[in-house]
Amino acid sequence: MTATITPYRSSQQTARDGFGQLLRAEWTKLRTVRGWVITVFAAAAVTALAPIDLANLAHNSAPVCDNGACRSPQSQAALAGPGGEAVTDNFYFLHQTLDGNGSITVRLTSLRRSAPVPNPPPGYPPFPTVQPWAKAGVIIKESTKPGSPYAAVMATVGHGVRMQYNFTNDVAGPPGTVSPSSPRWLRLTRAGGTLTGYTSADGTHWAEIGTADLGGLPRTVQAGLFVTSPDPESVQTTGGNNSIFIPGQATAVFDHVGRTGQWPGPGWSARTIGHDAFALIGPPPPAPTPGKPGPPQDHFSQSGGTFTLAGSGDISPAVPVVDPVEVSFFGTTFGLIAAIVLGAMFITTEYRRGMIRTTFTASPRRGRVLAAKAIVVGSVTFVAGLIGALVAFTVGQKIIQSHGWGPPQWQVWSLTSGIGVHVVVGTAAMLALAAIFALALGTVLRRAAGAVTGVIVLLIFPVILAIVLPLNPANWLMRLTPAAAFSLQQALPQYAQHTNACLPYNGCYPLAPWAGFAVLCAWAAIALGGALFLLRRRDA
Amino acid sequence: MRDAVHAEWTKLRTVSSTAWLLVASVVLTVGISALATATVKCPASCSTDTTKLSLTGIMLGQATVATLAVLVMSSEYSNGMIRVTLAAMPRRSTVLAAKAVVVTAVVLVAGILAVLGSVLVARMLLPGGGFTAANGILPLSLFHGPTFRAAAGSVLYLGLVALLSLGIASTVRESAAAITLVLGLLYIFPVIGDLILNPHWQHRIERWAPMSAGLAIQATQKLKSLPIGPWQGLAVLAIWAVVALLAGGVVLRLRDA
Repeated sequence: MTATITPYRSSQQTARDGFGQLLRAEWTKLRTVRGWVITVFAAAAVTALAPIDLANLAHNSAPVCDNGACRSPQSQAALAGPGGEAVTDNFYFLHQTLDGNGSITVRLTSLRRSAPVPNPPPGYPPFPTVQPWAKAGVIIKESTKPGSPYAAVMATVGHGVRMQYNFTNDVAGPPGTVSPSSPRWLRLTRAGGTLTGYTSADGTHWAEIGTADLGGLPRTVQAGLFVTSPDPESVQTTGGNNSIFIPGQATAVFDHVGRTGQWPGPGWSARTIGHDAFALIGPPPPAPTPGKPGPPQDHFSQSGGTFTLAGSGDISPAVPVVDPVEVSFFGTTFGLIAAIVLGAMFITTEYRRGMIRTTFTASPRRGRVLAAKAIVVGSVTFVAGLIGALVAFTVGQKIIQSHGWGPPQWQVWSLTSGIGVHVVVGTAAMLALAAIFALALGTVLRRAAGAVTGVIVLLIFPVILAIVLPLNPANWLMRLTPAAAFSLQQALPQYAQHTNACLPYNGCYPLAPWAGFAVLCAWAAIALGGALFLLRRRDA
Repeated sequence: MRDAVHAEWTKLRTVSSTAWLLVASVVLTVGISALATATVKCPASCSTDTTKLSLTGIMLGQATVATLAVLVMSSEYSNGMIRVTLAAMPRRSTVLAAKAVVVTAVVLVAGILAVLGSVLVARMLLPGGGFTAANGILPLSLFHGPTFRAAAGSVLYLGLVALLSLGIASTVRESAAAITLVLGLLYIFPVIGDLILNPHWQHRIERWAPMSAGLAIQATQKLKSLPIGPWQGLAVLAIWAVVALLAGGVVLRLRDA
């Protein structure tokens, strides 16, 4: 007769070992450590740090002086294009009135800089000898008023034949440079509001470049030839940003001018459209001294069927140097540091206290623990960053408006605009990724000090180094290091047809916003991979 | 005090992270200096201060130096060693002083190696970038007064950063918090510097932020237009370090370990 022994059964209900429970466990750890909760709140608070002095926007850069006349790069003429954006509309225009539909055809035989470039002042690199965006061709414009709608077919010095319209649109045609032995034929036809551009190498075989739909174009428009050239700029990039300009002037030679349609006359008239793109500040320029010529004057001459035009300026979107949105995200660097320390300590503290052994006993699958930790610390820092970024963005835009800075030069963005969403969500995502990166590095090193130093050096130090290095290596630094993610905070549009020195010093980064973020993601993913590998191999 | 220093030296040299961090400081400093000198070319930027350029790596090398100095104090708190230390050497100011002496000594040695390496590499690389006598640039030489001052000052800069880090670590005890504070203090001002648009505030930050003030010691050109003079700048960093050490000393005396 044997007694049956009932084995011991715990009265505890069996809990499911699901990922949900793991997440909950990690969340409990995070919210019950007072220092960590304070860090999360601090991350949100410092990210929201209002830009102290956005009101100083216009006085940021030292004025640029040329022949005694000083101009501030920030005070670019606040001229609005048809789309409301800030534009530069400055060129030499030989025009006649076109009534109704018609076309203008021309052969361009030469386009080059009017005078050789002078030597730069000591300490500056040489001026570029060619302006790739110097351009000449045919244009049909609503009126001679600067900023009015237009479409133009042109040859450029460095970017081949283009069709451009309404400042922001740019369609590429055949490449190549213009010379007397290789002239370019250009044609622009108007049918109602539709303008079509053509080009040809010989005047008989024409290829269409593109069409522009300028709805609302009046019956009579101004049509003719134009030439313009941006000012050559010499940028001293090491140890800050100083740039100087010299007047740019291009000379273009046209012949075989042909017109169809109604041209009521009275004939050609030539004029400079627009003012200089920069408002003059400071004392007026002194009278030109003998032997030292003043800025070149636009001019026009005709001999037989040959027209020679010389003009300067640019027809392009105008992008200010300082990005007010970026300036309003002054506090992000502080927020990133808070997120990094939280991410690193979220794992290294477990090693220090021996808690990691309890964690792995409760949940032996180590990859899942790492995933749960990444999700929890990433979500928490994302929410903190989102709150901070919302405040920074809203306050920043308010300050810009309240100081009278507005369109067209300073865009005021709403939170729901594409820019608002990508800047605010992007900043929050940056904080989350920084925390996850630090978590992964913390898992690899198991020491908080090393992990924090590593991530700060990789994410924040490149921004400092980029200020010291010349433009090219600085841009590579901003492409390859996790600091590329700072491009998420750029709100200024970048146009290919606009020659503006894009310097990391001014917060202009070489990568597109989400591409820059992808670089940070790649670094975090590699670190997570290494962390997972070592976590599985090593004893806890 | 002799025994205290000896004890601290034993602790420092028997931890593997010390050697790693010192080697990393030298390698990173020389590496970043080489990168900077190799990328700046003369016809474009002949007016660059080549001495300052050749010592660019100090900006990165200080991060590992700071980590080392923080760990000297905070690792004792994280593994409980501090209680043994204080049981053996009850005079807490002696402990802090001994730690300061030992960590400064090793950092200065590493700093000398890093600075010599950087200057040597720059001397070899600069002529290739067009910084030649033909362009009016003399080769980098430590026998040139200002260059020697910049090089020696950079070594002292690293020593002061180590003392600042030790002081902060004694104050906050937690290694992650301490290193965050140190690196934040050093790096945040240059980063936000170009987001501060007010020139007066920019000027103030350049005068009083520990990194920008301290690195003024590296300048050899246009000394008149600097926001702060070379030795005055290093003195500002020294003030930061002394204040941090005093705060650490006071806290060490007053608190339980």
